[in-house]
Amino acid sequence: MSGGMLMAGQRTTHNRARRRLSRIGLYIFLTVLAFIFLWPMLYALYTSLRPYGELVANANGAFSLPKTLSLNNYFEVWNNSNLVQYFWNTGVITIPAVLLTLWISSMLAFAISRYKWRFNLIVLMIFTAGNLLPPQVIIVPLYRLYLLIPVPAPLSDNGLMYDQFIGLILIHTTFQTGFCTFVLSNYMKTLSMELVEAAMIDGAGVFTIYLRVVLPLVRPALAALATLLFVWIYNDFFWALMLFKSGGKRPITAALNNLSGTFFTDPTQLAALSVIAAVPTIVLYLILQRYFISGLTLGSAKG
Amino acid sequence: MATVTFENVTKRFGDVIAVDDLNLDIRDAEFMVLVGPSGCGKTTSLRMIAGLEEITSGTMRIGERIINDIPPKDRDIAMVFQSYALYPHMTIRDNLAFGLKLRHVPKVQIEARVKEAAAILDLTRYIDRKPRELSGGQRQRVALGRAIVREPAVFLMDEPLSNLDAKLRVETRANILRLHQRLNTTFVYVTHDQIEAMTMGSRIAVMNEGRLQQVGTPQELYDRPINRFVAGFIGSPAMNFISVEVGGSGDGITLTAPNVTIPIPPQFRESIGGPGRTLIAGYRPEHLVLGPLGGSTAVVNAKAEVVEYLGNEELIHASCADRDIVAIVDSAYRVRPGDMLELRVPLEKIQLFDPDTNFALSFGAVIA
Repeated sequence: MSGGMLMAGQRTTHNRARRRLSRIGLYIFLTVLAFIFLWPMLYALYTSLRPYGELVANANGAFSLPKTLSLNNYFEVWNNSNLVQYFWNTGVITIPAVLLTLWISSMLAFAISRYKWRFNLIVLMIFTAGNLLPPQVIIVPLYRLYLLIPVPAPLSDNGLMYDQFIGLILIHTTFQTGFCTFVLSNYMKTLSMELVEAAMIDGAGVFTIYLRVVLPLVRPALAALATLLFVWIYNDFFWALMLFKSGGKRPITAALNNLSGTFFTDPTQLAALSVIAAVPTIVLYLILQRYFISGLTLGSAKG
Repeated sequence: MATVTFENVTKRFGDVIAVDDLNLDIRDAEFMVLVGPSGCGKTTSLRMIAGLEEITSGTMRIGERIINDIPPKDRDIAMVFQSYALYPHMTIRDNLAFGLKLRHVPKVQIEARVKEAAAILDLTRYIDRKPRELSGGQRQRVALGRAIVREPAVFLMDEPLSNLDAKLRVETRANILRLHQRLNTTFVYVTHDQIEAMTMGSRIAVMNEGRLQQVGTPQELYDRPINRFVAGFIGSPAMNFISVEVGGSGDGITLTAPNVTIPIPPQFRESIGGPGRTLIAGYRPEHLVLGPLGGSTAVVNAKAEVVEYLGNEELIHASCADRDIVAIVDSAYRVRPGDMLELRVPLEKIQLFDPDTNFALSFGAVIA
């Protein structure tokens, strides 16, 4: 009897030790993984703090150990690169694009998820298929199209879509709407249909149901998507490069490109600007990381 | 005045007929219960009154008005859903007031009606809470409240008690009945639970496979079921059925089956037909009596298999010539599994059904 208890006790201790060991292993693995992911960021931070001369003088270049560390590169890029303008440009593109995308896709998702309609599936398939299209494929026809579409005065200063904020806002909206519609319609499908029916009986019309019943309930999904969209659109470089002629209208990511010249690039300043440019997304991510993570799994499981 | 009338109403979903040629008059201020097993068309019928399902064919009226093409919001109805369907992001006050706000009812009036409904349903304390902070029973009351404040001509309820526990269900059942008496309005109530139907309905409409089987007061359905389906569905535990053969002649006609002898019940003397005919006899578990019984009786010999003791009575599952039957007898008998029982049924409690049509014999002429 007591022997049995002893054995059971030993087994528990043994199990506990094993669990502890596997936990330690897990933490080592996670730490290494985190370091691998953080490495480019930390390396940029490190490089940004070193004077350019030191990198040139040392045979190992950017991989050498530092003699001096300073914030000089930051002051220099801030003073020389007109960053306020670039940040402003990014804001003018990103914020309306995020809002417009969420507005359009939430209305579409509402129609697709809540109403029986002959073309439901086809519409959803087109949106999803459009999502699979790499943007680079359409750049030539899009570029030609942007030179042909007339846009009236307050929205465009050259009468075209090309080289205008509106052009960039619309192309971002177009490309993101498919994904957002897909996610939001899946999320809306998890809401009880009886809720919409109750509102119908209460006297609500279609728009009231959308605005006052469904939209408040998909707020978590909207927040998650807003976070994702902000990061994606903020980080865009491709469309900004292709659809803007004037450097002064380009977003912050394009400003980074301005720093790399044909014959000469200062990696320390480029690193400093990269760090500055990354700050808003990092801050936003830290504030909204809860939504960001839920956004990645959104629509995959019933809410 | 709010009567609800179905005139030859049919509802199809593709090839499936959910409701088949339904004719039903629901009277003003009546508590009508639509009851039947899952998929019988009762909820679809209710949703057609609400306007949540379109009618494939037929005419539907509330009062004198044809409502086939009138949207739900203009039908002067309110509905309580099975899931309650409260707006989760609104407080109880806003949930109650939502429908009134949409109808542009003056603010003062909204306030007064919400207050009154909250008082009736004992919700005043929770009025500023969100639905998720309430218990199931409280949420259910909010759903009722949302219907009350609208002061509709017809209340529609779709299995409103099915998410409550047994004790709360009994309590709420009484509350809904009290509400009906107080409001004196037409209620249409859907349930699959025949006990709910029996206890609540002024009249009950039994449905099966999309077709209306019988409409009547609870007592009518219990005493004179029109067919085997209604006989088996109404009453708990369900009626026992056995196949019997007509034998003898004149006053000596009997119905026999292995271990069962039934003298001809007087009420069936005319309709029973000639000897050799096979019929289905039905008798309710609660009408079986153990021990002596005066008057003419049918005798059922059975062997007790399982005995469920319920305090004042015992539920006996017995076998009668390889057929399972259920009997409810006084618990004083203390029946044990294995006991041979001689059970008696008063003849007037016997129901007879035609095995081909499944209609009750006495109703055969009426139906044909």
